[in-house]
Amino acid sequence: MKITGPTGLVVGTLLLGAQPAFAQSQKPTAEDLDQRIRILERKLELSQEEADKKAKDSAAVSASEKGFSIKKGDFELKLRGLFQTDARIFVDDDGAFNDTFLFRRLRPTFEGSLGKLVGFRLTPEFAGDAATVVDAYFDLKFSPAATLRAGKVKGPVSLERLQSGSAIAFIERGFPTELAPNRDIGVQLQGALFNSTFNYIVGYYNGVADGRDAATRDVDNRKEVGVRVFAEPFKNVGGALAGLGFGVGGTHGSQFGSAVGNGGVLPQYRTPGQNTFFKYATDVAANGDHTRVSPQAYWYVGAFGVLTEYIQSEQTVALADVEEGIRNTAWQVATSFVLTGEDASYRGVTKPSQPFTLGGEGWGAFELIARYGELSVDDVAFDAGLASINSSAREARSLGVGANWYLSPNVKVVLNYTQTEFDGGAAGGADRSEEKAVFARLQLAY
Amino acid sequence: MNRLKSLVAAAALALPLAAHAASVELLNVSYDPTRELYKDVNEKFAESWKTKSGDAVTIKQSHGGSGKQARGVIDGLQADVVTLALAGDIDAIAENAKTLPKDWQKRLPNNSSPYTSTIVFLVRKNNPKNIRDWDDLVKPGISVITPNPKTSGGARWNYLGAWAYAQRKYGTDAAAKDFVGKLYKNVPILDTGARGSTTTFVQRGIGDVLLAWENEAFLSIEELGPDKFEIVVPSLSILAEPPVAVVDKVVDKKGTRKVAEAYLNFLYSDEGQKLAGKHYYRPSNPAIAAQFAAKFPKLDLVTIADFGGWAPAQKMHFGDGGVFDQIYSAR
Repeated sequence: MKITGPTGLVVGTLLLGAQPAFAQSQKPTAEDLDQRIRILERKLELSQEEADKKAKDSAAVSASEKGFSIKKGDFELKLRGLFQTDARIFVDDDGAFNDTFLFRRLRPTFEGSLGKLVGFRLTPEFAGDAATVVDAYFDLKFSPAATLRAGKVKGPVSLERLQSGSAIAFIERGFPTELAPNRDIGVQLQGALFNSTFNYIVGYYNGVADGRDAATRDVDNRKEVGVRVFAEPFKNVGGALAGLGFGVGGTHGSQFGSAVGNGGVLPQYRTPGQNTFFKYATDVAANGDHTRVSPQAYWYVGAFGVLTEYIQSEQTVALADVEEGIRNTAWQVATSFVLTGEDASYRGVTKPSQPFTLGGEGWGAFELIARYGELSVDDVAFDAGLASINSSAREARSLGVGANWYLSPNVKVVLNYTQTEFDGGAAGGADRSEEKAVFARLQLAY
Repeated sequence: MNRLKSLVAAAALALPLAAHAASVELLNVSYDPTRELYKDVNEKFAESWKTKSGDAVTIKQSHGGSGKQARGVIDGLQADVVTLALAGDIDAIAENAKTLPKDWQKRLPNNSSPYTSTIVFLVRKNNPKNIRDWDDLVKPGISVITPNPKTSGGARWNYLGAWAYAQRKYGTDAAAKDFVGKLYKNVPILDTGARGSTTTFVQRGIGDVLLAWENEAFLSIEELGPDKFEIVVPSLSILAEPPVAVVDKVVDKKGTRKVAEAYLNFLYSDEGQKLAGKHYYRPSNPAIAAQFAAKFPKLDLVTIADFGGWAPAQKMHFGDGGVFDQIYSAR
């Protein structure tokens, strides 16, 4: 072992200052000096071995733009978070809707692993009037091709629903999400095959109303099966098609009862401004099969991205002696273009090339977005008297434009304008007034 | 009901079959210089066990300073068996972790020590500092290599060997303490284990004399050649009895008791005893020991019983604030 650099300096200092036990003479011999050097080298070696062992035995604490982590071997606890504060203004609404500031998401996330087999995630939500649980599940990770996940999870249907709340292009998701399950409680097998170019989910859940969240327990003692397959065949090849993904998701089950909203079985469809424009008439009840199918795709190439999906939700509902299968549909096309040259992706702009610095050259990344979508309620719902055209719209069409400003990997500012028009939904069967919404958001995510 | 019974019966039949087909893994937590011995033992035992039972057994080894290893087991290291440098370390496991009974040493022959060893001096070829006995180790200018008695079982045997010599020669504990204090003033580095000290002396070329396990000294000469080192046998040394024990709570939890007990009994078999002799440990079986007698020098040996056993020796010399702490902090 040769001693150079700082180590050599240390050794030199010690040589000058130290008096090893064996040295007795005032003038050490060459042999004495050789031994002293060897002893110091060995002590350094042992110190390094001890330090390496301690480092190996100690948990590593790390912090980065992706959050905070404590890790030792296959055991890890990660702390992440998503905080969104919105300003929501409705234009030309004659005071019909409240303009407001609100917390849209206040979600710390605790996730990690307990050995190679077990993973977990817990995400509470503090943005509502009462704290709730958004995600709570644990994984048994048998292999990349087979993970068993149990708990409260996103339903395996809508492409935009499955996108992280921090990465969605617009402040609120589009119409297809209104027909897909939000979170549901159940168990699912999922995995990635063929070098992660093919993903699947097969699950068994309590079942929820379109667009809504699960109750803490099943309200109707009926269950739902969900399946989703999604392929990115050129993911590992590169080129213009590398960011192309397509697939289909769906559910099938049965539901009974008249509960609406979160934990219910009947839907209430909302605009991108989050105002309800369709609900069934009083006393209408879910009364049998409920099937959803959603083909979907995205394509991200360079700074350009497009996400599109279609969904059909067919549900048997009844009112007194009338029973009908109501087939509602929705679709959307959303595009994005990153002006500053970063790559667009399903995860948004993950890292601006030049993060914003006050008084510096960096301004972050800018992205322009546009979206058009429609939601159509089955005519039968109105013809059979299951919904009233005087209070519920038959169809909603929405156009949205906006801009995203990624100041850093953690901070995003969003500005959206969406205009939604309706068929029906107002007194006398007239069209409900157009909804013009200007939403702004400040987001912190890590 | 009949269907349920059939299912239970099928499960009852399937379980032993599944257990029979499973391979077994043991963890042997040992001290520093036994690496080569147990590598051989593990291989031979696995063959023997396969022949006897049809099962495959894999034995994982863990080595380090004996005291450090005992601490690891106390802290939760799942050792099926421990094969440590001294009984005091296994006593500490029984006392603190309560994973084996306090009378563990009575369960196997010869106080559960299938082989013994002693402490000798390894010096450089032609013994340039003319080191002949313990007195030479306390002379000014002599550099002595020995590990830390706080972490190494071998080091505790070294220390007690020196103490026994001084007490016998100078007559009092005070004189022995002074003698051992002078010896440790000549120790420039305290490794955590015997193998580390061997590296310090043999590989790094530090020191004039290594206080070594007899087997470790022979191994150094075997590996590096008699032209580099030679063994000096002191006038008095100590009988080191490295003991072995099954860790009851671990083997019962893992279902490995049968194979773990067979593993330790294998050490007492003729084949195991010959392997011990081959690796320069003194076999406990007199007949096998006789076959290796020419290898081992005859010398006057004290035993741990001369110190009242491991418990008082540990407390007086190596406990916190004990004699070793006093003499080492006074350096």
